[in-house]
Amino acid sequence: MVQIDPGTLFFAAIFTNNILLTNFLGLCPFLAISREVKPAMGLGAAVVFVMTCTAVLNYLVYYYVLLPLNLEHFRYILFIVIIAAFVQLVEMTVERFFPALYYVLGIFLPLITVNCAILGASLFLIIREYTFVQSMAYGAGSGVGWMVAIIAVGAIREKVQKSAKLPRGLEGPALTLIITGVMALAFTAFSGMIQIQ
Amino acid sequence: MKKRLFSILYMFLLTFFFTSIVSAVKIYSQAKIETNQRVKLQRIILDVLRMPVGEGISNRRVVELFDQRVRETEGKDRTLYVGYAEDGRAITGYAFPVGGPGFWGPIYGMVAVDPSGTEILGVAFYKHSETPGLGARITEDWFTKQFRGLPLRPEEAKKKIFYLKSAGTAQAGNELDAVTGATGTSRAVEAFLNKELAHFLKDIWPEVRKKG
Amino acid sequence: MPKRLTNTQIFVQGLWNDNPVLRQVLGICSTLAVTNLLVNTLVMNAGLVFTVTMSSLTVSLLRKYTPMRIRMMAQTLIIASYVIIVDISIAAYLPDISEALGPYVGLIITNCIVMGRCEAYARNNPPWPSFLDGLAMSLGYSCVLLVIALVREPLGFGTILGQRIMPDGFTPWTIMIMAPGAFFTLGLLVWFLRAYFPLVTQEKKER
Repeated sequence: MVQIDPGTLFFAAIFTNNILLTNFLGLCPFLAISREVKPAMGLGAAVVFVMTCTAVLNYLVYYYVLLPLNLEHFRYILFIVIIAAFVQLVEMTVERFFPALYYVLGIFLPLITVNCAILGASLFLIIREYTFVQSMAYGAGSGVGWMVAIIAVGAIREKVQKSAKLPRGLEGPALTLIITGVMALAFTAFSGMIQIQ
Repeated sequence: MKKRLFSILYMFLLTFFFTSIVSAVKIYSQAKIETNQRVKLQRIILDVLRMPVGEGISNRRVVELFDQRVRETEGKDRTLYVGYAEDGRAITGYAFPVGGPGFWGPIYGMVAVDPSGTEILGVAFYKHSETPGLGARITEDWFTKQFRGLPLRPEEAKKKIFYLKSAGTAQAGNELDAVTGATGTSRAVEAFLNKELAHFLKDIWPEVRKKG
Repeated sequence: MPKRLTNTQIFVQGLWNDNPVLRQVLGICSTLAVTNLLVNTLVMNAGLVFTVTMSSLTVSLLRKYTPMRIRMMAQTLIIASYVIIVDISIAAYLPDISEALGPYVGLIITNCIVMGRCEAYARNNPPWPSFLDGLAMSLGYSCVLLVIALVREPLGFGTILGQRIMPDGFTPWTIMIMAPGAFFTLGLLVWFLRAYFPLVTQEKKER
């Protein structure tokens, strides 16, 4: 039904409909993540990969298995199972072929499973009735958008906490939330940029 | 080995148990969910056909009224809902579903035209994913009532049937107020609704007129 | 290591001391999005409280039978099932709100609090305290979100539960309806609480 071309959708998912800054998804690891940019990028890359693949997998499962069998209400269970299985797969691959990265990411890798953004992306693409290619673009774009948001806010937070004297109580989650708010505000400026039709 | 077997069996039993419960809840509520959706659609159809279906009207009354006054028929690519007067013979209007991309996701609505096909009786939107308080305001009365009486002129094929302008700047008869603060949604609605109306006039209406 | 707490203590701890949102800033993902309308927040909270308490209770009842290695899978299954039940119920009895909530009800599954309580408490403790713990945590969470909604809806729409409460000349702060408003409100709330009601453990960390 929706006629956005996948390229535009990819960019829209990063800027105008950023899954973290506009849909509030994927905040948990965000607030707990270390302030180093390197691990953040590693995690971001992992998330992009998982998001794109699970978006596609879940699309296929929903339209070719659940709908024909009239079992759409089980999508929550099936989606999270697919995500968990996929993350497990990624974890094993990273441990085997990129041990340094595995060591650095530590517990964040399995925690990708409960990242609201990943399940959220799959649920959104169903609600918005995206086609296969659109789903792929949306999954990839959302992942990249999440990564961009995390790195940007993390970098700002690192700078602020190093150089500024903060009032009592502001340090930590409160500051991160406010920075996120400002960033979300900045991103709303993008909404005029993309012409949907 | 025994532990593994037990784990597998356990998961199996647990899955079976919970999926049964979920299925039971689903089956129990299925009828209600479908009724909700059907009545909602009927209410919208009656509303755009300008039949008396205000706030306080019960679901039962909606179904009654719909059965009495509306007949479904197949248009070229979508269902047409023909509204009849109380005597059951005179046609008061034709309603048809429309849909298109909104800003966040697809928007579905219903449009009704008068029996001569030259004027819009009413417009309503019943499904969308727009932002509450912003894009979602397209469902509000002040927005949808603007479409009432909008002329449909098939001769002016190139031009749009209506334009959405920032609140307060609409001047010509076919310029309507957009939703303030919801530029994306307003642009999307202007685009797809115009397209659907043009398509209706060009492809669907001629057949309806022929059938009489 | 932790002392055996009385049931009341467990309850209070969940509501205030260990309030998941304010102290640990966990699990805000799914619900923050709907806090721009009070009625949506209330329904979402009800769904969350139901899920957390029932999941904690179920996990606790099954804790002696669930093999260690598959407990995460079992917990996920249990939580997902309750969430589906909530989703279906809302769709059947509150269809308009169900549409407004969209996918966010389903996202309760990935809400850190639900899984967190099962892992941290329910799988090692008897059913009744687990139930209370889940109840307290989810109610504490709900209160915080209610406060946020009570800021966002009046300022953003000028209404509470759909009833106009702001004077006629009031221009709504549209930013409160959108994402930045939620982030700012929660951020300010956490800041305020951390500054004026610090916990002993927190002070130790900051030293």
